[in-house]
This record gives sequence, structure tokens and C-alpha cells, in this order.
Amino acid sequence: MNFRNAIFAGLLLVGISSLTTAQVPTTDHPNPDPKDWPTYAGTDSGQRHSPLKQVTAANANRLQAKWVYHMDGANGMEQVPVVVNGVMYISQFNRVDAVDARTGSVFWKYKRPPASGTPQRGTAYYNDKVYMVTTDSHLVALDARNGGVRWEAKSEGGYFLAGGAPLIADGKVIVSGNRPDGFVQAFDAETGKYAWTWSAVPKPGEPGYETWGGAKPQGGPMWMTGSYDADLNLLYYGTGQPNPQWTGFERPGDNLYTDCIVALNADTGKLVWYFQNTPHDVHDWDSTETMVLVDAPFKGQTRKLLLQANRNGYYYVLDRSNGQFLLGTPFVSKVDWADGLDSKGRPIVIPGHEPSVRGTETCPSTAGATNWPAPAYSPDTKYFYVTVAEGCGINFITSSTAPDAGTGYIETANAPWQAYVRALDATTGKKIWEYKPVRSNHYGPGLLSTAGGIVFVPEQFGQVTVLDAKSGKPVWHFNTGDLITASPITYSVDGQQFFAIASGTNVFAFGLQEVNP
Amino acid sequence: MNRVLVVAGLLLTCMAGPILAQRPEPGPANPFRGKPEAVHEGETLYAERCTGCHGPNGTDGEIGPALVSGERADFGTTDGQVFNTIKNGIPGTPMGPQKLADDEIWKIATYIRALRGTALDNPLPGDAAHGEQIFWGKGQCGTCHMMGGKGGLTAPDLNNIAGTRKASTIIDALTKAQHHEYGSGGAHLKSLPSMESYLPVHVIAGDGKVVDGILLNEDGYSLQVMGNDQHLYSLDRARMRSVVVQPKSLMPTDYDKRLTPEEFKDLLAFLTRQGTKPPPPTPGRGGPPRGDDQ
Repeated sequence: MNFRNAIFAGLLLVGISSLTTAQVPTTDHPNPDPKDWPTYAGTDSGQRHSPLKQVTAANANRLQAKWVYHMDGANGMEQVPVVVNGVMYISQFNRVDAVDARTGSVFWKYKRPPASGTPQRGTAYYNDKVYMVTTDSHLVALDARNGGVRWEAKSEGGYFLAGGAPLIADGKVIVSGNRPDGFVQAFDAETGKYAWTWSAVPKPGEPGYETWGGAKPQGGPMWMTGSYDADLNLLYYGTGQPNPQWTGFERPGDNLYTDCIVALNADTGKLVWYFQNTPHDVHDWDSTETMVLVDAPFKGQTRKLLLQANRNGYYYVLDRSNGQFLLGTPFVSKVDWADGLDSKGRPIVIPGHEPSVRGTETCPSTAGATNWPAPAYSPDTKYFYVTVAEGCGINFITSSTAPDAGTGYIETANAPWQAYVRALDATTGKKIWEYKPVRSNHYGPGLLSTAGGIVFVPEQFGQVTVLDAKSGKPVWHFNTGDLITASPITYSVDGQQFFAIASGTNVFAFGLQEVNP
Repeated sequence: MNRVLVVAGLLLTCMAGPILAQRPEPGPANPFRGKPEAVHEGETLYAERCTGCHGPNGTDGEIGPALVSGERADFGTTDGQVFNTIKNGIPGTPMGPQKLADDEIWKIATYIRALRGTALDNPLPGDAAHGEQIFWGKGQCGTCHMMGGKGGLTAPDLNNIAGTRKASTIIDALTKAQHHEYGSGGAHLKSLPSMESYLPVHVIAGDGKVVDGILLNEDGYSLQVMGNDQHLYSLDRARMRSVVVQPKSLMPTDYDKRLTPEEFKDLLAFLTRQGTKPPPPTPGRGGPPRGDDQ
């Protein structure tokens, strides 16, 4: 070691000694630094709204691609990158690439065998760590600076993690999954120590078991990231459909807690309240769509609201402190399975829409009036922006008497699917404007709102479009050249606001032309 | 991956030969199994006789398929089956019977086996617990490297080093300034030789600010640096007053001299046990179901 290297090694040691000092959380997810996007929805509230306003409806026509990062070995990416302090973390199952968010150049890569091309939906950042889930149901905490493994933990109790992005709440990492039934699990963010599990289906003797008519409670898959209110210390998660999926006669009753919005105490994982969107579901209308937490006046009184556009076709407004139903109204033109909702929010079901051997048409389809692509909410316009699918489906079973005889669903020829981006008045659900992404028929990508008065709208067939948040008029567009099945983010580095979106196997970053050319 | 599957499929088909739909016989036992000198002699024989078709290190060639792959790939063949294939050839393919002595064929089979897998499959002997003490103590490895969630940030995390590298590569990294990296499956990794990465860099920005650290990435316009202050830096080359990159990594390559033979052996015993065996591949398309979001 020459003299210069010796000096360098000395410096290294000085630097490393700082590791041993106490670390304070560098990210406060309820109100993160506007330059960062540290969690799936940007903040815990699920609003997907950024205070950044360098890009506006007036100057968005000067947006340009700043860089593209190709993730070799990936398939159609569904991940939402997280960005903290100018570093972007791009993920697949078993893999995280840390990329310079300004240039798209790699800082480090982490891979864990086996290689997997299966998409997952992202990571979470907290206190110098990036949290990821693996195909063998582990939760791994990586050092955000070099990709080293700080700790890893296997899911507890025979539950198997799904690919939703972890959520940080109350110093814990919250993960969820579908197998054997829907569940949420919590681990200590610093140590990986297991904390608690909540199961979406009750065991014999537990509340809710009586809603299955003696059948074994099954299902309730939980494959999406939840939201978190730190003041109430409540986690909000959606649960999926009961099993068997398409036949209901084997499981008479409401089948709690499937197709529910649930509020869990973040310390204990105990259920605080639930609201069931679709009792006794036979159409696979999971309630996993993003829950958007908003404090806003409702009928003259400021309340802590929870907003959700549900797969079953209804837009819901709940009081998130107690689960009280405040409003429910269709947000697609045709909802034919229910004649509205009663005063408690329970659907008034119109008989005759159960799947049948000859096929039964129902609107919306099983794919849903909306699905996992993220909505957005702007506190400026007070609009709820959501990608919706108009259209109907036909559901089939192979036998009307055999249990679990469902086969699935198809698009109807006479009511084909068409995607729209709609702005709804957040507290009335009334449609303000809509934008039609031409050709997009399946549920498309998610949305993003910013204080610059724009909505960033990727489209299924690769276009990204910027809309004026007030009017819905397109002001800029760019063809990424591949299918988009992810949600966009925005962040800032060195005074430049960026937008990023995964398209196919690439992540695109956009910014204004004349800033940091 | 498709290519690997195709190759694997071809191999299996070929191995099955005239007894289609039956598993091939495991063949005779390898008299040289696990003998380092046989691996070495086998490598020489392979280079003379096999490289032309199967490529260097079995990574594939113009005529024959890869015998290993870039990722961990166990083709499921025994040494005896490899021996039989080399001795008898595969009818209907360019793979003809090889006119070699049986011992020579066994040595090639031994070499091919050594090409597959990583250190974790064949950890080196020694006192691993003592080796761990050397790692954190006299060896000072933990000053720069992470292991088990602790250690330095300026060098690669070694948590899964034995699951991604061969024992020979680990030894080379500790003892040679220049060496090739051989990882899972034996393929030459598509990365720079390790001594040309993780280079120390000293940068003076236009405003006089100094950044010292390790160069993680660079192009004509920007530098990505892990600073000695544990922060990641993205630096605009045009805005820097000077950028000086040291030509050599800080990684010492004389561990066989700075440690006693016993200490070195025990350190290797520790390092060649650090890793996780990948779970067995799942049938079908792989990966867990992500939930019925269709």
C-alpha cells in the first residue's frame, strides 16, 4: 500500500466510523421531502400527488426524454420505482438496480437467486434501507447505499408473500399475500423481527366465521400495497374475492372478510373496522384498489375520508376513522348487477348475474370498472383521477351443481371494453371530464397528479400523455414504444423535476428541455 | 434462458439416445472426482480437444452447445454419463467418439463438473469459525466489505459470495492483482476483472468542493461515486475541475502472505461457506402467483 493509498484507507476508516453513530430516519412518509418518492404511492396517503410544480400545463410541451434505463432480463414491468436523494431503486422479484436518477447510470445492482422475470410492483425506502420481497417469500432489507443485505426474514406461519410493494408504517415493514389465504404481516424495519399477522379469513370461533354457512373460509387475496394514517395509526388494506371464485352456493353468506376495505392497528395488526364492498362475491371483484386518504369537507364538515374506486363499479367515500359509509355512486356508465347501495353501503343486488353454464353477462366485467392501476387525488382541484374500463363481461361455469366449477370470463362482443381517464369530484363522485386513450381496452397504467396542475397519464399501448388537471386537455405526449402496465412517479434532482415510468423492460425519465440540458 | 432450455433439452434428448423416455443410466463412477490435479489436467485436455466445438470453459461454441451457462445450471448429468458421451459420441450429431484414454476422458469429465456450480457446492476445508475472526480482525475485510448485515460500504457485499463465485475465483481475488471471475455455472462473467473496478477517485468540483470515494460508474458526461462520507454522488464531468482515478483497487492481493497459511486456509473455509443455495426451480413459468389481478 503506497502512501496515498494509506491516506485513503485512513479516510475510509473515518467514514466508516460514522456508521456506528445513531441513525435517524431520513424519510418521513406522511410528508416526505417533495424531491423524493420513497414509497409506492409517493406518500402513505395513496394520493399520488406531488407538490413539485416546475412542470405545468403551460410548459409541459417542452418535456423531453432525459434518459432510458433498460432492465435486462425483465418482463413487462409493473414496478413503481422509489427515489430518495437522487437515487432511483428499480426492482423485479429478487433484484434491485440502484440508478442515478439524474442520468440513468447504475450505482449498484443486487441480485438474489433464482433469476426471475416475474414482475412485482416495487420496493419501499426507509432509514437508508430498501425493502424488497423475493420469489421464495423472503423480505430483504438492502443497504440503500451499496445494496448490501442488512437483514432478511422469511414470511411467518406458512404464509407466502405476493409481489406488492412493501409499506412502511410505525417503524414496521408491512407486506401481504394471497396464499394460503389473504394476509398482512409486519416486521420490524430495523431488525426484521416478526411482529404480527392479520388473516383475511376467520378461523372457527372467530368473528366472521358465521358468514360462511359452515364452509371453510377461503380466499381474500391481498396483493396490493395499502395506505397508512400515522395520526390514527391505522393501516388500510383491501382484500380479494372469496373462494371458490365463481360459484357461491357452497359458501352461503357474506363471506367475511373478503372484498373488504379493512382498517388494522399498525402496532398489533388487530382489525379496527371493516367495510365490505361486495358481500358474497361471485365475480372476482377484489377490493384491492388503492385507498386514497384525504382530509376534506364532506357536506360542510371536514372529515378524514377514505376514497376508493372499486372494481365492482362503485366509487366509495368512507370516514376512515370509523369505517362509516358516506357515499357510493357508479363511476362507469353501466352497473347492472346492483340497484344502487343502501344507507349502509350494502349493494342492492339484482338477481340473475351469477356465472352460468351458458354464460351470464354482467357489467362491469370481472376485469373491473377499474383495477390495480393507481388513481390520484389533487388537493388543488379536489378531483379524484382514475383509469376506468367501460364494458361488460360474460362469466362461465361448467356445472351448476358441482362445487368450484368456474372457468372464468370473456369480454362481451356487444359491450366491448374501452379505457378512459376520468376526473371525479372527490366528495360527490360526479364526473368532471374524461380523456379517452385510443385503443386502450384493458385496465391501463396508473396516474400521477402534481401541484403544477397536470395529470401524468401513461397509456396501455405505450403513449405517455400529460393532461391539464382542470380541463383534461392533453398538452404533451411521447411514445415509449412498449406496453405500459405500471404507475408513474415524479421527483427532483439538482433543480430539475423528472417524471419516470416503466414501459416494457425500460424505465423512462422525462424533464423540461432547458433545465440541466 | 430460452437458449439454455433448448440446449438442456437437446442434451437430455441426446443422452437418452435409443432408450427414449427412460432416464439414462448414471454410468460408471468417476475415479478422479474431487481431485484438483485431475481438474487441472482435464482443463488442458479440454482446451486441446473440446474448445473448438463447445467454446472456452464450456460456454458454447460454433458447433456444440454450452456445457455450462451464465447462471447456475445443473444439467442433471452424472460424470459417468459425460464419460459415456465423450467415449461413444452422440449418433446423428457432430459429437463423435473421442479417441482418448479412459483416464483422459475421466479428467475432462472431472473438469466439466468443476466448471459447474460455485464454492458453496464444494467449500474448502478449514476452521470456518476462526476464519470469521480473521475476516473481522487481522484480515480487516469488514472495513470495506459487508457480511451478515454489518461492515463497510465501499466494496461489494459478500453475503452470498460462495453462492456466486467459485473457490478458485475467491482465492485469486485474495492473491492475484489480475484474475478472471468465474461464477455460477462456470461462465466468464460479463464484468470487468475485479481489480479494475471499485477504483479510488479524487474529485475537485468547480466550486472547490472535494469528493473522495470509490468510482462506481462513469461515462463521458457523469461519474457515480460512493463517497467516503457514505453518500452516493452523481457528478457532472463538465462541472468538475479535476477527476483523478487511481489505477488500482484498494483490495489487497497478498492475503497468502499477510496471513499465516493456517489463517488463510481458515479464511477461505469461512468465505466458501457464505451464501444461500437457490431454491429448486419451480415447475412451469416460475415465480409465485401474484394474485388474480386479471
